[in-house]
Formats: sequence, structure tokens, C-alpha cells
Amino acid sequence: MATLTLRAIRKEYGKLVALDGLDLDVGDGEFFVLLGPSGAGKTTTLKCVAGLETPTAGRVEIGGRDVTDAEPNTRHVAMAFENYALYPQYSVYDNIAFPLRSKRYYRPPVEARSVIERVTTTLGIAHLLERMPRELSGGQRQRVALARVLVRPADVLLLDEPLSHLDAKLRATMRAELKSLGDVQRTTSVYVTHDYLEALALGDRIAVLREGSLVQVGTREDLWHRPVDLFVARAFGQPQINVIPGEIVSATGSSTFHSRDGTVTLPLQAPLLAAGTPVDLGLRPRDLILGEMPGMLPIRGQVYVVEPLGRQREVTVEIGENRVAVVTPQEDIASGDQVTISVAPERVLMFDGATGRNIMSDGLPESRMERAVHPEAVGYA
Amino acid sequence: MAREGIVAVQQETQATAGDRAFTTPVSEPIQSRRRGVPWRDLAISALTVLYFVFALFPVVWMIILSLKPQDKLFTTYFQFEPTLAAYREIFSGAGGQGGATFLRFFVNSLVVSLGAVLVSLVVGVPAAYAFARWNFRGGESLLFTLLSFRFAPELMVIIPLLVIYRRLGLFDTHLGLIWVYQLITLPLIVWILRSYFQDLTPELEQSALLDGYNRPQAFLKIAVPLILPGLAASGLLAFIFAWNSFIFPFALTGSNAQTVTVGSLSFLGGATPRYNLTAAAALIALIPPLLLALSIQRFLVRGLTFGAVKG
Repeated sequence: MATLTLRAIRKEYGKLVALDGLDLDVGDGEFFVLLGPSGAGKTTTLKCVAGLETPTAGRVEIGGRDVTDAEPNTRHVAMAFENYALYPQYSVYDNIAFPLRSKRYYRPPVEARSVIERVTTTLGIAHLLERMPRELSGGQRQRVALARVLVRPADVLLLDEPLSHLDAKLRATMRAELKSLGDVQRTTSVYVTHDYLEALALGDRIAVLREGSLVQVGTREDLWHRPVDLFVARAFGQPQINVIPGEIVSATGSSTFHSRDGTVTLPLQAPLLAAGTPVDLGLRPRDLILGEMPGMLPIRGQVYVVEPLGRQREVTVEIGENRVAVVTPQEDIASGDQVTISVAPERVLMFDGATGRNIMSDGLPESRMERAVHPEAVGYA
Repeated sequence: MAREGIVAVQQETQATAGDRAFTTPVSEPIQSRRRGVPWRDLAISALTVLYFVFALFPVVWMIILSLKPQDKLFTTYFQFEPTLAAYREIFSGAGGQGGATFLRFFVNSLVVSLGAVLVSLVVGVPAAYAFARWNFRGGESLLFTLLSFRFAPELMVIIPLLVIYRRLGLFDTHLGLIWVYQLITLPLIVWILRSYFQDLTPELEQSALLDGYNRPQAFLKIAVPLILPGLAASGLLAFIFAWNSFIFPFALTGSNAQTVTVGSLSFLGGATPRYNLTAAAALIALIPPLLLALSIQRFLVRGLTFGAVKG
């Protein structure tokens, strides 16, 4: 159990900069998720923590101890690799027992067996112990790799997409179970994923990475309701956030948003902005309601296509030259219908048209955080 | 309800099976092809046999030669009384050079070839691993230098080597031959094993490091067992090359450390060339590489690493 600190980590592979001045603070026992597209430097970050890659510059601290130049085997770090890295010459049992046979994490055979049985039972692979890795399916191998990490004590647990190769149903179960595993609960963990649902479900805090740099760190509510820029806003949510490009007009007392094609005009409770400021309006599909609602901002358009998603349906509405996705439980909608979309004023996100930065993220009313709906609660049927 | 469902499914599968039988004609072309005479297979077999005879004929010729008595050596018809006299003679040392028996050459060859391969493995396995895993300064040129030993003609260096060996007292010693054989065996082992190590994902050893093992342990417990097929293949190949080496023992040994390749030739040196003795010696010299190849055959399988990482 320990805190983990990364200070200005830079990692170059030749001319390629994989990590560019990364700062992270992970609290003791915290479950920290790194989210980002492939190539963002997530795995490189883990490897720098584990000592498998030496950062070009910067400092890694585990439990307050500077381990930047320490050998991997002295760092007391466990890691589950994305490609499993199972030892092909050993059986599943021997794979999982391998750390417990090392000098550093030695447990007597009887004790080791009981630990392994406990962990493998939780992971549902207890019946596979005598098999060889090559005889397992991808999902089973991934769970063996996870078991090998969980049987041993560690200050920091590094999990590199440990659920990516499970089938959808198993992934949902494992996602729920992973955090309830006692060892995971107590250990400082860094979890890498490109699946925003995993990040939201598991992360005490989430860091979004892009091209080797940190974009935003925060709780799931922070990232969902107060994304620092369009990149973060787009990273969360399915269907993706709707973006309507436009600009600010008539900055007399209050600002008004005008979409570029002139079809959307919305009064905004935004900080005063100069007229002519280019702005991208962000509307989450699940924050939009079909039909006119009192106290909400209306946008008019024509239904383009309707896709059923089990209990709900995704309706794409054409508004001028923009298409806006709306998720609704309503059933009496057909393409070609004229509809009004309503959105609560405080749900409207605004991004700087040039930089993509969130314009409204400062000075948000505190109540907004408490009202924040857990994104899982508005998930798919 | 459930049972009804199953019955319905069964009916459906029967229906689709029936449909398939109806729409797909019985595989006529395949059957007719089977019925005819397999000319293609016959031709291939015949060619294989022909090549087999062609390839093995020198060996057969040698066997015949080794069984012939001295006075029938140059006859080309196969009418003679087979005798093991040649074999007896080479082991008694009667036909040998300076009274050295063939057994001595044989043991010398075994000692220096096995010794050379062992030294090359001890040095070459870690070297190959280092070349595969790390880019270090001068690594590429070092690798190329090693390779260049294989394509530089041995004759080019043999005279200076002889001079140096005489100075150092390595002339006609086993140690001297084992040393010079590194030019043959080491490049081979390093280059072959490097590619085996490269095929291995480094994350296996990284995982071992995080599992509490140090680097030497990760290397020995995880990486080396996985390249055993490569180790067997390159070791065997290196042994055969060392065993067959002629120039080095020819120039760098006298009566003490002489090998079979040079020793077999000594039977041709006298007033009458003793081809039957040379043939017998060459045939016996064939045995160790053959036995070695057969005994490590089971290691020469690929696919040991299957299942390590996701496909």
C-alpha cells in the first residue's frame, strides 16, 4: 500500500515522444483509471511505473520513495500485461504460483495453494489449473494473468486493459467483481483502458490521456459534466456528444449562440463573451428530450433516422446542416417527423471554436455536482 | 414450452439439412478424380526415388569401397569377397600416420567439436540474448564482425594463425582447436539464437521481473527454456560444421590433436593410396553427427512458445 507520484515524466523513443511531461498523483488505495485512445501513452506510463521503461526525464515515486532508477523487481509492483505474458512452458497453476516461488514473494507451498484456490475461484478459472496456457481461450488467459497479479502482495497494482478480451457478458460481470476483490480494493491501482464505461464504472478518479499528455484528471462527475475540452467530452458517452459549430452574437447583457448555418439560436447563461467568438455547442444525446418542455431551450428539426436500442431508441435529427443524436424512450417517432428538441440550459456545454477548451467549466454552480446523474444510471437498457 | 421449442428447432434443422441436400448436388467431381490412376502421385514418387538413389550413391560407393580388399580397389565390377580388414586396420594403427590410430583422431574430433560447441553456447546464448533485447553502442558492428568470420575464407588467416599458435604454444593442442573453432560455431549460434530471442515477446521476462525475480533468473527460468528448439538446432549445426572442419586442424595440429577429417586423409599419403581405409574412416566419422541429430530430433520442434501472448 502506497501512494504513487509521477513528476514531469517524459519518454522518447528515438524521435517519437511517447510521454510529454506527465504529472500524476495517485492516492493510497485509490483505484485510478487511465483512459485514452491507442497510442496515447497509457501502457508506456504503466511501464515507467513498473520500471520496465526508463523515462527520458522525470521522477517516479512509490510510497514517497524515488524509484526512478530502481530495478523492476525491487519496486514491489504487480502488473497484468495486455497481451497476458503467460509463461508457455508452465501450467496455469505454475504460472499463477510463479511469483509465490520467488525469493521476494515466497509463500510455503501449502499456503500458496490456498491463496491460488481462493483467487482462481473468484475469477472462475479454478477448473483450469492443470491446463497449459495454449489450451485456454483469450478470456481465460486474461483471467489467469489477472490471477497471477492478485495472488501476490504489491504496493501498486498495474492493470493494462485486463478486461479487453473477455466477451461482453463476462466483461460486465468481471467489471463489477474486479473492484470488490479485497486485494484490489485495498491496493493502489492504476488501470488502463480505452473503454469509457469501464473507466466510469471502476475509477475513483480518471485521467484522460492524449498523445502523451494529460488532458484532464478528475472524478467521473468532473469528466462527465465538466470536460475541459471537446476531446474529453467526445471520449465519454455513446452515442457521442453532439457538436454544433457557431458563434456568439449580441453580447448585450447576455450572450446568444448562433449556429453557423443559422438554424439554431440559443440564449446562454454563459460568462460574457465578445460577439463573434467562434463557439462549439456540445449537447449530450441523453440530456436531450424530444418535445417542448417548460424552462428548457427548444431546438427545431426534422427526424432523419430512428434506430432502436432495446428499451430506448436513438433518433438522429437533422437541424440545418447538423445532425443531432437524441436517446429517448419515446416510440411514436418516424423519420421525416418535425420535432422539437429540449435541453436544460445548465446541460449545454460550450467549447471554444478554435481551441476546443470548455468555456463554461469555470464558475459552475455547486448544486450541479450533487444533481449529477451517475452515467451508468442513464446507460443502455 | 421448452420442449416444444426444442422440437421446433429440430424440425428446422432437418428442414435446412433437407434443403441443402436438395440444392447441393452430390460431390461428383471429387469422386471421379479419386477413381482414376493417380499419375501425379506416381510421378512424384518415382522422381523422389530417383533423387534418393542419386543422393545416396556416393555413400553406397564408399560402403562398397570400405569392404573391398586392397587388390580389388580399382575394379569397377562388384564381384569381390567383402572383408572388414580395412576397419581392423584403421583401428590398429597399422595404416595410420606416425602410428596414431584412428580411434585417437576420432576422440580428438569429439573433444574439440563438443568443446567448441559448449564454449560457443556458454558465450553465445547470453550474447544472442543481449543482441536481441538491447540496442547498445557498437552492437550492430559487433554482430556484423561475427558474421564476417563466416564468409571470410579460412585460408586467409591460417598462416598468421599458425605463427601465433606456435608462439603461444597452442599448436597441436585441443584447447587451440576449440579456440579457433569459435570462428565457425560462435557466429552460427549467436545469429540463429538472436532471431529466436527476438521472436519471444520481452514481456515474458518483464513479467518475471515484476514477479520478484532478478534479470539472470528471468533469463534462465523464462527465456532460455523457450528457445530450447533453437538451441538444439543451432548446436547441432555448429557441431556438424566443427566436425567437418578441415583447414584449421590440417594447419594447426600435428600428431597429438589431429581430427578425423585430416586423419582419414593420411591413409592416402603412402606409396599406395589406401582408399578402402579412407572410406572406412569417413563412414565411421559419419556416425556421431548422425546420432546427435537423431537424439535431439524431438527438440527440433517449433511451437513451444504458443499460448504465451494473445494471438
